[in-house]
Amino acid sequence: MPDTTPTPTFEARLALARDTSIRLKRAIASVIVGQDAVVEQVLWGLIAGGHVLLEGNPGLGKTLLVRTLSSCLDLRFSRIQFTPDLMPSDVTGTNVLVMDAGAAGRAGRFELHKGPIFGQVVLADEINRATPKTQSALLEAMQEHAVTIAGIRHKLEEPFFVLATENPIEMEGTYPLPEAQLDRFLLKVSVPTPNEDELTEILARTTGKPVGEPERVLSQEDVRGLQALCREIAVAEPVLRYAARLVSASAPDAADAPALVRRAVRYGAGVRGAQSLVLAGKAVALLEGRAHVAFADLQKTAAPVLRHRILLSFEGEADGVSCDQIVRELLASVLTRPEAVERAAQGV
Amino acid sequence: MAAQAQSEFRRQFHSSFLAFAAHVHRRHALRQALTGAGLGLALGALGALGLWAMRLGELRPFAAGLGAFGAAAGALWAGRRRWSDSDVALYLDARLGSHETLTTALGALGSNETEAPALSHVVERAANVLGSADKTRVRPRLWSRLHVALPVSAAAIVAVSLLPLPPAPKPPAVAPGAERVRIENLKGLERIEALDHLRGQNPEQDERLKKLAEQARKLRESLAKGLEKREALSEIAKLRDGIAAERLKLGDQQNRPGLDAALRVFGSNKALRDAQKALGNGDLTAFDEEMQKLANRAESTDRQAAKDALEEAAKEAREKGAKGLADALDAERRLFERRQEHAGALRELAQSMKGKLSREAEDDLKEFGRSGNPKAEQRLEQGLERALEGLTPEERKRLAERMQKQLKDEDGAAAPMTKKQLEDLAKSLSTDDGVESLEKQLKELAKPESSEDSEREQGLGDADHGGAEAERGLGAMPIPMSSDDSPGTGAGKAGSDKGAGKPGGEPGSGHDTGTGDHQGSTPEVAGKELRSKAEARLQAGAAMHGATLGRAPARAGETANQLGTGSLGDKGARQIEVGAVDHADIPEEYREQVGRYFEP
Repeated sequence: MPDTTPTPTFEARLALARDTSIRLKRAIASVIVGQDAVVEQVLWGLIAGGHVLLEGNPGLGKTLLVRTLSSCLDLRFSRIQFTPDLMPSDVTGTNVLVMDAGAAGRAGRFELHKGPIFGQVVLADEINRATPKTQSALLEAMQEHAVTIAGIRHKLEEPFFVLATENPIEMEGTYPLPEAQLDRFLLKVSVPTPNEDELTEILARTTGKPVGEPERVLSQEDVRGLQALCREIAVAEPVLRYAARLVSASAPDAADAPALVRRAVRYGAGVRGAQSLVLAGKAVALLEGRAHVAFADLQKTAAPVLRHRILLSFEGEADGVSCDQIVRELLASVLTRPEAVERAAQGV
Repeated sequence: MAAQAQSEFRRQFHSSFLAFAAHVHRRHALRQALTGAGLGLALGALGALGLWAMRLGELRPFAAGLGAFGAAAGALWAGRRRWSDSDVALYLDARLGSHETLTTALGALGSNETEAPALSHVVERAANVLGSADKTRVRPRLWSRLHVALPVSAAAIVAVSLLPLPPAPKPPAVAPGAERVRIENLKGLERIEALDHLRGQNPEQDERLKKLAEQARKLRESLAKGLEKREALSEIAKLRDGIAAERLKLGDQQNRPGLDAALRVFGSNKALRDAQKALGNGDLTAFDEEMQKLANRAESTDRQAAKDALEEAAKEAREKGAKGLADALDAERRLFERRQEHAGALRELAQSMKGKLSREAEDDLKEFGRSGNPKAEQRLEQGLERALEGLTPEERKRLAERMQKQLKDEDGAAAPMTKKQLEDLAKSLSTDDGVESLEKQLKELAKPESSEDSEREQGLGDADHGGAEAERGLGAMPIPMSSDDSPGTGAGKAGSDKGAGKPGGEPGSGHDTGTGDHQGSTPEVAGKELRSKAEARLQAGAAMHGATLGRAPARAGETANQLGTGSLGDKGARQIEVGAVDHADIPEEYREQVGRYFEP
């Protein structure tokens, strides 16, 4: 029997996405106090189909945020606590020899024991505590949404969304993520310390009766639909060019690189960075109910998209230059429109 | 239905966008034209200022044309730099705050994915945005700060156009002497032209003198038409050089030994010292005058000494190879003899008319005999003439008898020629015709007779002075003179000289508080009497004559009175220079002091 359900119009889908995102934020907010920007940026990653690296001090609710998000989504959640002795197979899973009890003799077979990577929302907690070998076990999964175990490639169930956390202050016994892996994260979200009001609210909520589970807002289909809609968002050529200029200017040897970039940056963002910028921009536009990306969307996502893709030089680190400073400099120096248009638009 | 609606939206967006774009382009072009006009007018104002400074007043208003040119250039520039549709869409998005809706929609119009739902949605949104947009809100700004130049520059052009032109700059200074002079009749040139009538030593010199006179005439004509001052001065200098070249050069290398010998001869007799000095100065005119004085003297020893000196000097000069000088001295000797005879005749006549002469004439007779002064001679002749006119026939007869008796008494003491003349006179005095003839002869006697060389030298000297006068007339040697040639009056206040001497014998001090001006001027100088050495012409390679010689190097203690001795050697003092102090026209007491100073 054919499906007679009328296909919703683009406008309806757009409106639904907006409503859904609002409901999702509201559901998360019922558990997480404050951290609106972090929630927003995590949603960008989810909708754009990218992975998110959360960086913040311990106790800021990073893990809780991820758990809450997974609760709101009808997705399988798994958590990997990264420790220095964690092995890649602990992440991906392994083939285990299983002796068949009914069979004569000693015949046995290998059975795959899937690791936590086979979840749909994977929390890689304190990812920088594992060795690079174990960290790299995530590479294939994050990039190709597939895992190869004992020569057999296993497709991961969509949507697949990795949320990793790392603690920036404890450097002892940590292994900084290699650039290649960092590049796989769509966004690197800095989790700020809550302000007084937020902290008061947190205290009120967590020291009383336990809070119930948040409502489930999105199904797997809804998430996939959102991700598909995100890809449909239109981007004008000047906006794409702006993204390209921003990313190009982050390289110190670029002709239009600002002075700070030339001085403090060793390597700038690459192609994946530009792609991430546009994708994140689309997510922003979608969440705001627009069918196209604006310059402002790119500017909004530039810091979380580019900050982990810019490698500071020795001089930059010695001077205490942060990647966020670099991004701010890029946004200030790279013009969105041609100069004459910009001047006319400003009424000069 | 949906497709139709989409198409309608696309059409609506497209037309709206074109309208907005045209509006934006127009405003943009107008703004650029105004900017160009402003810059053009500013340049025009500067140009007008430049034209004003260059005194091209009538061109100033045209500087405003640069404004029109600038406007056209600005519009052209705006056309070449016309915004693309994408730029316009970006501009409109920025002004409308539409988050690049129009830009995306414009891109959608040109893309192949026109059916994409997102793009359709964007186009619809864009059509709505433009539909509700106010054109006046999004139009580009027309005026900028730069456009202040428009009224300011226009006003500046008007002001500069109305400004009176600056005074004309002074013409560049003419090179000294380059100014043109135009003089109808330059005084002094006629004295050079007079060379035409001067007799030269030979036909060649006659020719040269005529040429000099001709050149002077041509210069006069050129000056009448107008000539550069320096050119005129140069011509006069050439003339003067030519004149100097024609003068007798007694002191040159050839004549010098002869001259020295002649001077020695004249120096041997004290009565001939003046003649020696004149000859030493190379001044034949003065020399001739001195010789005339000697010829006129009553003292026969002086006359004989002069005649002998002339003869001996001519001989010495000839022997020393100074032929020109020797000829001149010979001619002077012959003239001396004639003058002597004339003077004798005159003296005889005056003696015979004694008693009939006026007191002045008798005084002139005495002076004539004593000094031989030619002026006294002239005055005497005039006195005789007047005395003859006043004689009655009876007195004439007695005068004739007295003259015959006087001739008998002298018995040949007078010169033969004079005697004959007097006999004739005595015979003729008895008739009216004879008296008239005597008067004529007296007039002839009154005419000064001089030697050819002397006349020529005098003429050449006069011509040279004429050249100097012409030079002064051209301003070569300005002499301050008042317009009426009368001495100026210096108006000054009498000052007080108050000495402050103290009784103790200390030196007194005082100051002159008088004030005065210097507006006085000297009267015109009688130039003919001035004979300045500064006017002497230097002849290249030739020694200078007279007192200007003797600039020989010498050390302290040596004397110029030693003839070519000591370290002076050949360059030492010459004969003429030895005892030069004694020859000088300075008081005796000073001469002695100077002479003692130079004693070895």
